[in-house]
Amino acid sequence: MLRISGLSVAYGGLRALEDVSLDVSEGEFVTIVGPNGAGKSTLLKTISGSVRPAAGRLELRGRDMTPLPSHQRAALGIAHVPEGRRVFPSLTVLENLELGSYRAAARAARRATLGSVLELFPVLAERRAQLAGSLSGGEQQMLALGRGLMSLPDLLLLDEPSQGLAPRIVEQIFEAIGRIRAARRLTILLVEQRVVEALELCDRGYVLETGRVALAGSHDALLADPRVQRAYLGV
Amino acid sequence: MSERARGWLGIAGVLAVGLLLSFVLTERYHHRILTLVFLWAAMGLAWNIISGYAGQISFGHQAFFGIGAYTTVLLAAKLKLTPWLGMFAGAGVAVLAALLIGTPTFRLAGIYFGLATLAYPLIFRIVMDYLGFQEVAIPMVRDHPILFMQFEEPRSFDLLALALLGATLVLSRLIEGSRLGYSLRAIKENEQAALAMGVDAFRCKMAAYALSAAPAALAGAIYAHAILFVVTPEAVFGVLVIVQTLVVCLVGGVGTLWGPVIGAAIMIPVSEILDGTVGDRLPGIQGVVYGAALMAIMMFAPEGLFWRLRRRRAPAAVATATGTAPADREREAAPPAAVFGAVLLDVRGVSKAFLGLQALSEVSFDVRQGEILGIIGPNGAGKTTLFNVLNGFLLPEGGQVRWEGDPITGLPPHAVCRRGIGRTFQVVRFFPHLTARENVIVGAFAHGGTPAAAAARARDALARVGLEARADSLPPGLTTLELRLMELARCLATRPRLVLLDEPLAGLSTDGIEIMSAMIRRVRADGITVVIIEHTVQALVKIADRLVVLDHGRRLAEGAPSDVTRDPAVIEAYLGKRWLARHAAAHAADLRP
Repeated sequence: MLRISGLSVAYGGLRALEDVSLDVSEGEFVTIVGPNGAGKSTLLKTISGSVRPAAGRLELRGRDMTPLPSHQRAALGIAHVPEGRRVFPSLTVLENLELGSYRAAARAARRATLGSVLELFPVLAERRAQLAGSLSGGEQQMLALGRGLMSLPDLLLLDEPSQGLAPRIVEQIFEAIGRIRAARRLTILLVEQRVVEALELCDRGYVLETGRVALAGSHDALLADPRVQRAYLGV
Repeated sequence: MSERARGWLGIAGVLAVGLLLSFVLTERYHHRILTLVFLWAAMGLAWNIISGYAGQISFGHQAFFGIGAYTTVLLAAKLKLTPWLGMFAGAGVAVLAALLIGTPTFRLAGIYFGLATLAYPLIFRIVMDYLGFQEVAIPMVRDHPILFMQFEEPRSFDLLALALLGATLVLSRLIEGSRLGYSLRAIKENEQAALAMGVDAFRCKMAAYALSAAPAALAGAIYAHAILFVVTPEAVFGVLVIVQTLVVCLVGGVGTLWGPVIGAAIMIPVSEILDGTVGDRLPGIQGVVYGAALMAIMMFAPEGLFWRLRRRRAPAAVATATGTAPADREREAAPPAAVFGAVLLDVRGVSKAFLGLQALSEVSFDVRQGEILGIIGPNGAGKTTLFNVLNGFLLPEGGQVRWEGDPITGLPPHAVCRRGIGRTFQVVRFFPHLTARENVIVGAFAHGGTPAAAAARARDALARVGLEARADSLPPGLTTLELRLMELARCLATRPRLVLLDEPLAGLSTDGIEIMSAMIRRVRADGITVVIIEHTVQALVKIADRLVVLDHGRRLAEGAPSDVTRDPAVIEAYLGKRWLARHAAAHAADLRP
């Protein structure tokens, strides 16, 4: 479904990604782990179109989308749930969710989607009239996930959903991701620092290390591979 | 010809052209225009000292213009003091006012400073009204006209204004080449980096403000005698004065000696001639044309005519990625001394919180003379906060930092730098409009000295990092590696005994990491102690003698790199408890002797 080949990204001479190639099949759950600064968020931003690559090619279902601006990629069914949640704090939970179904294909089905999202996250239904800024971190993360789902995406990009959350809440978030996965046949690309939790959920994983793909494999293989630790600690 | 000589020659050229025009023109009206050109150029240059060089935009500079005019005229009217002395008294009062205004106002940064300066001319206007000085006529003194600046000859005011312009040009030129000038430009382009290079930003701004008040006051005094004859608060403290000043500078170019001169030479005649020609037939049209001219400048040369022309003449040098391989990579293999010297930096129980988030809690460690100490930790561990506490950007809530036994907690950054602690930044903080050499000179001025001595120190520092060939390039044309080397050179030019390097290897290619690592070892071989923050642990493991691990603001571990990276607590911090549980067996094997 998604094929990335030879992708390089630089921020004003600062190399963030170098010759990264990876692919994600229809309905697959792929995880990318790696230490801070490895280029994980940059990779997602390049896929959703907010960062322009210096070289390389991005294909969605065989179609070259490298030149497309981000709003057109969203229209193709890519939803990006960014790092740090970025909910609209002064809007209510419901308004945040409704803004998620902005793309034409999702607008028609808004009512039905909203029902299923609220079913998936009962806590959001409880707090639907509350301002998003007054939610706890974990609830905001669920809202960000729900908002992403409201666009009825084919490809869901999740950037560090566990960031800044207490371990108990992280468990709930990963559990929610598992439920999303079970509820619909959705292609998911997850970026995480938490190695084990993220790898356990996925079908396949990649390890990114200073802008390059250091390792790739099935989740079992990666979970057992001591080289993953090398990417983080060098030994 | 050197840049220096060209500057002085340029000033001589401006004065020569001014003199020539003054003697060629015959009509009184033309002389009036010429006087105005010189005066507004001088006023623009005065504004340029604080707002152009130092980047502290003052919207209230007419305060000093008005003080100069009022002081001179009131002294003449009330005390019969000649304006030849009175204008210098006015300049003195203006400098005093600048110091009084600057002391509270420079506590504000950026646009807030600019907004605050708006208030001062308003206050002076109200005070003048209150004191009953709504209209102060210059007294006619028929027996001593020259003594009271009442010239028959229209040329006289040209020459007086030209003399002021010449003096202001010379003053600006002297500032440009001095330690103060470098410091001001560094403050403008990156105040944090300037502080870390030992620049006392507050004092520099105050000096620039005082220096810029004096010519503004003199311009006001001459303006009162040449143009006004009756001084009113509106005429000298009014908003039109600052508008004219800003127009002249923005059109010509800010931050250069020539900008205000070019701007005045174009905009003043245009405005006066429009006023005198079409203005008669279509009242108000001059404002429209003038506005259109301004908009054209904003659209086609927003940086000002001077910079626009200069850029055209010298197209931005395209970075030709010269391999900056330093010649002596062999030297890198100097084996780390097994025993390090005395404790240089002693960090005890340092804590720092931001809005309830405990960024650092009771962090303690030593830095020993001659070592390379690495500080690692996952994202958000508090590494950069720690550096900000060490170099004085942040004041910790608890704990103490001692430098060779003396407490340095609470010292401002420039003072910490002058004690001998240099630093670099995670994202290279360069001064984009200064060449690599000038960037390094800012650091070289940390301990004072003459411009020549600073230039020599800068040359040495650039040579040390192997960047001589790129000395005249502007930072935007340098590669990431070259920028990091330049920043290191700038830091070394402050003659530190300890350097704090914030992620010097981030974003570098594999080759770049090797060059930079070799450079860091060289710095240590030259007797400078090094503390490095990195999150790319792999590269650091190879160069650090010792590692301190931070996690959630606490010191998690400390020791030799090979031990620290096998420490279960460290593995848990980076990879999680469950990874540790899964791989416990392997670690147990690892830890076995």
